[in-house]
Amino acid sequence: MTELWEVLRDAFPELASGFWVTVRLVAVSFVIALAAGTLVAGLRLAPLRLLRVIGATYVEVFRNLPLLVLLFISFAGLRRAGLPVSAWVAGTGSLGLYTGAYVAEALRSGVFAVGKGQVEAALSLGLDYRQALRRIVMPQAFRTVIPPLANLTIAMIKNSAIIGVSLLALPDLLKEARIYQSQTFQTDATFFWAAVGYLILTVSATIVARRLETRYAIRR
Amino acid sequence: MTYLFDPDNWEWLWTGNNFRFIVEGFAVNVQIALIAMAFSLILGLILALLRLSKVKPVGVAAGVWVDVWRNLPLIFIILYLALALPAPWVDAYESVVPSFFPEALQSGRVLAALLGLVLYNSAVIAEIMRAGILSLDRGQGEAAASLGLSYRQQMRHVILPQGLRRMVPATVSQLITLNKDTTLVSIIAIQEVMRHGRIVTGFNFFGGVQAPVLQVFVFIGILFVITNFALSRLSRRLEVREGGPGRAPPVRVLGVEDQMAPAETR
Repeated sequence: MTELWEVLRDAFPELASGFWVTVRLVAVSFVIALAAGTLVAGLRLAPLRLLRVIGATYVEVFRNLPLLVLLFISFAGLRRAGLPVSAWVAGTGSLGLYTGAYVAEALRSGVFAVGKGQVEAALSLGLDYRQALRRIVMPQAFRTVIPPLANLTIAMIKNSAIIGVSLLALPDLLKEARIYQSQTFQTDATFFWAAVGYLILTVSATIVARRLETRYAIRR
Repeated sequence: MTYLFDPDNWEWLWTGNNFRFIVEGFAVNVQIALIAMAFSLILGLILALLRLSKVKPVGVAAGVWVDVWRNLPLIFIILYLALALPAPWVDAYESVVPSFFPEALQSGRVLAALLGLVLYNSAVIAEIMRAGILSLDRGQGEAAASLGLSYRQQMRHVILPQGLRRMVPATVSQLITLNKDTTLVSIIAIQEVMRHGRIVTGFNFFGGVQAPVLQVFVFIGILFVITNFALSRLSRRLEVREGGPGRAPPVRVLGVEDQMAPAETR
């Protein structure tokens, strides 16, 4: 037990800086995922068949590809091809584009969840298409999209650990724990505190999501 | 783009044993995935039932267990187990593992990989199964009880057949994730497809052609996309057949990456 506290005191600066790197990694990847997801969802709902096919292909490819393969392609692969990409760009880009495929599916089903009758009713009340989208469809779609987006954020927190451990030189929480462990051989204590760090992130993300859900819940 | 499709950069694939070597590595991933899937499904169902148990402490304990494992990064679990598993366990695995298994699976490190995959995925699958069971109308259990069925009979004949059917899509999408996650075991030096890919890109390997990194991993990616795409198509077909003609469209339970499992559904 005393060992546990000693390791915390000794390793705190490293673990804290790793924790912060993980937070920033997830934040940047989240923005990329949201942008890519919105774009792809738009493509999948486009009136042109070609655009829909492009959107569907994106989703199928990025959902079925292991994140680690994507990281190898975007870092070592592009580097060897003469396009030097920094670890940060490759890491957040890969995680963002990977999650973007899931975000696109969540957004698409959110928009579809709003009944067609809602739009028709809005239009018959004299709202134009943009007003109907902004005032009727979007607020309702937003609600249905909260739970899946929260889930994707949690998945991203967990997946961000892959970036640090793979070949990229990014000292995130798991990487810092690994380095400290290899210097001190305090395996259990080090990984215990790293686990606490990850649980703080995932559990607080869950709590925030629950709050948002109840706040925007549809009251009947 | 021209670099990616330049035939010169794909020559490695037909040189020496490269093609076979990569595919052999991929086969190791598939085998790890299959073993982990079987154990995760069984353990997942057990955990789901324990969590729904009427004995309070059992339910709470199972709940904590599931929530801890599914909220940790899988790579974290695998790495920890690889460093921390007691040596006797590893030796026991090496003496137990069947000799017809490929060489890559004979190594004791595989135990950490399999254990990590099963701990994480069984927790996730337990949540999916619990949601499937909870999504059923309460009347189903009550009707079965009023017909004189015991708790076990209710579960076996009424609740599980209906609940499990609803979670087929979510489970399959989790199995696809598991299949992708087998690449993570390369971190603990198990000789699977990612490792083979890195060997091929090294100097003077098989016929002296150094394979370009980008193309090698694009090729490996294609293998995964094809396999997982086929898997998801298969599940869609399964779903349609189970629904049957003239029936109401099946209620679906959504997976982790699609939807948060409802905490208090009913």
